[in-house]
Amino acid sequence: MNEMTQKIRDFVVENFLFGNNNGLKNDTSFLDEGVIDSTGILELVNFLEEEFEITVDDEELIPENLDSIDNVVTYLQRKVDA
Amino acid sequence: MVGPNMRSKKATLIHHFLETSAHSYPDKTAIIYDQVRASYSEINKSADQLAGWLIRAGIELGDRVVLIMDNCLEYIVGYYGALKSGAVVASLSSDLKPDGLVPMLRELEPKIIISSWKFERLLQATHLEVSEETALLLKSPKLDWSDFHFDTYSWEDALKGEEEFHEAEALDESALASIIYTSGSTGKPKGVMLTHKNIVSNTYAICEYLKLTDKDIQMVVLPFFYVMGKSLLNTHFAVGGTVVINNKFAFPTSVVKQIVEEGVTGFSGVPATYAYLLHRSPLKKYQEKLGRLRYCSQAGGHMSRQIKRELREALPAHTEIYIMYGATEASARLTYLQPDRLMDKIDSIGKPIPGVTMKVLDNNGVEVAPGRKGELVGYGPNIMQGYWRDEEATSRVLRKNGYYTGDLGYQDTDGYLYVYGRKDSLVKVGGHRINPQEIEDALMATGLVTENLVAGVPDELLENRLVLIAVLKNSDCQEVEILRECAKRLPKYKLPTQVKLVRALPKNSNGKVDRAACLRLVGL
Repeated sequence: MNEMTQKIRDFVVENFLFGNNNGLKNDTSFLDEGVIDSTGILELVNFLEEEFEITVDDEELIPENLDSIDNVVTYLQRKVDA
Repeated sequence: MVGPNMRSKKATLIHHFLETSAHSYPDKTAIIYDQVRASYSEINKSADQLAGWLIRAGIELGDRVVLIMDNCLEYIVGYYGALKSGAVVASLSSDLKPDGLVPMLRELEPKIIISSWKFERLLQATHLEVSEETALLLKSPKLDWSDFHFDTYSWEDALKGEEEFHEAEALDESALASIIYTSGSTGKPKGVMLTHKNIVSNTYAICEYLKLTDKDIQMVVLPFFYVMGKSLLNTHFAVGGTVVINNKFAFPTSVVKQIVEEGVTGFSGVPATYAYLLHRSPLKKYQEKLGRLRYCSQAGGHMSRQIKRELREALPAHTEIYIMYGATEASARLTYLQPDRLMDKIDSIGKPIPGVTMKVLDNNGVEVAPGRKGELVGYGPNIMQGYWRDEEATSRVLRKNGYYTGDLGYQDTDGYLYVYGRKDSLVKVGGHRINPQEIEDALMATGLVTENLVAGVPDELLENRLVLIAVLKNSDCQEVEILRECAKRLPKYKLPTQVKLVRALPKNSNGKVDRAACLRLVGL
């Protein structure tokens, strides 16, 4: 697991799963599986912006970019490379 | 054969809303949630089965049933089913952490907790340190519960039972129906006790002024555990309308699209909902597609003029905007502003809803003249019975004139009411008493920010100094520019001395701005 994936995973487990990562896979949908609610997505966005020094545009607030660890990593890599 | 409990008479208990609509519109779609479509008769049947199970499990009149679920079909079945059984339903925030949940469970002493696999981690983390009699009813559990000492049942099994059950004869409109915890900005959360009559009367009053009918389709993005979300559910079930549940407000484009696809007629939100919709969704681009959207309603706190005007511009001309005011302690609603007065009474919260009276009282409980400020006090059949197991807090707000809202306001000569600010949120800065809301509104009027919060933080010289936490509309705007624009609108002593820029203001699970979390975010 690369460093980026681990950082996101740690953030999600620590902030939303009370440290119990039981069953959280990298492709688990945050909203459908109840890992993060709507408010939590914004917290995640804040975290990504600060930690990785990127800006998440309004049009990028879609499940394809932000609704699982895998989606976030793919999206982040695209942003960081750009 | 025993059929489901249905009735043709007007409702006197909350679950009668479901029963009368199951009688009048059995096959009509009551709930749309992703791919799920459920009719009134299906929901009523499941609620009957659940009520039967709860009674067999030992639920008696007045016992507490705790509901921890996000918005979904099972929440609705759980809510009406538990009410049918005679229980008092306490729906708790799905956003609670173990530290917040444990004290609530201790004081509620619930007999049953209804929840789902989504909250298993939370429930296990609390170790359910509550009375030994508490049992857990779980929808699709995924974790292992064998190490825990209390009984765990499956929702799916509970709903296999017979629909027959006997509603307790003693269950009447004066019975306690609901305990809703307030999102109070200070102190510990308080459990607001509402009877069937409180909620039924308020529901009918809301249906009347919003002119709701069975043709109405309401989009719900607010949680049902919040009093406003609950009121959206009850009002639409009262008229036989349809409720569209959308839990993806974090992705606002999906919400706007679904409004169009499902032909939604009503949308409701708190101020932050509209700030977010206006600035982070393609609402304006969809204007021509919103032909069926009859109205938008807003409650849950003060919304700035700027947002009201932007919203008026973004929505089609036929979509009415209802500004409303209320409190959990009032079962939801106290006043509303007629949509045709929105522009000429733009800062007003309107007039009392049917059956409610509002007064502006001074510190001695005497009504003040129009234009003079005092505390807003509401009276009517919707006012709560008190706070759960907290007589001291109850006696502070429930007095002979009614419910003391803690909001300062006034009435104009036409009888329209205005909220000036919270009684306990005035900030003393160097001898001046300052109302943060006034500064926040001035900031919004600059058009430079999408949302902002002004707070007083302790200061050695001034007692307090004002800090502005703001979200910029354009990221290239400078702090000095904001202060310059503020200086054009406010006297010097009302200018914030420190500006902190953030990407979004933290919200609580009701969607309202969380002041404490905002201050933490900027390290204050």
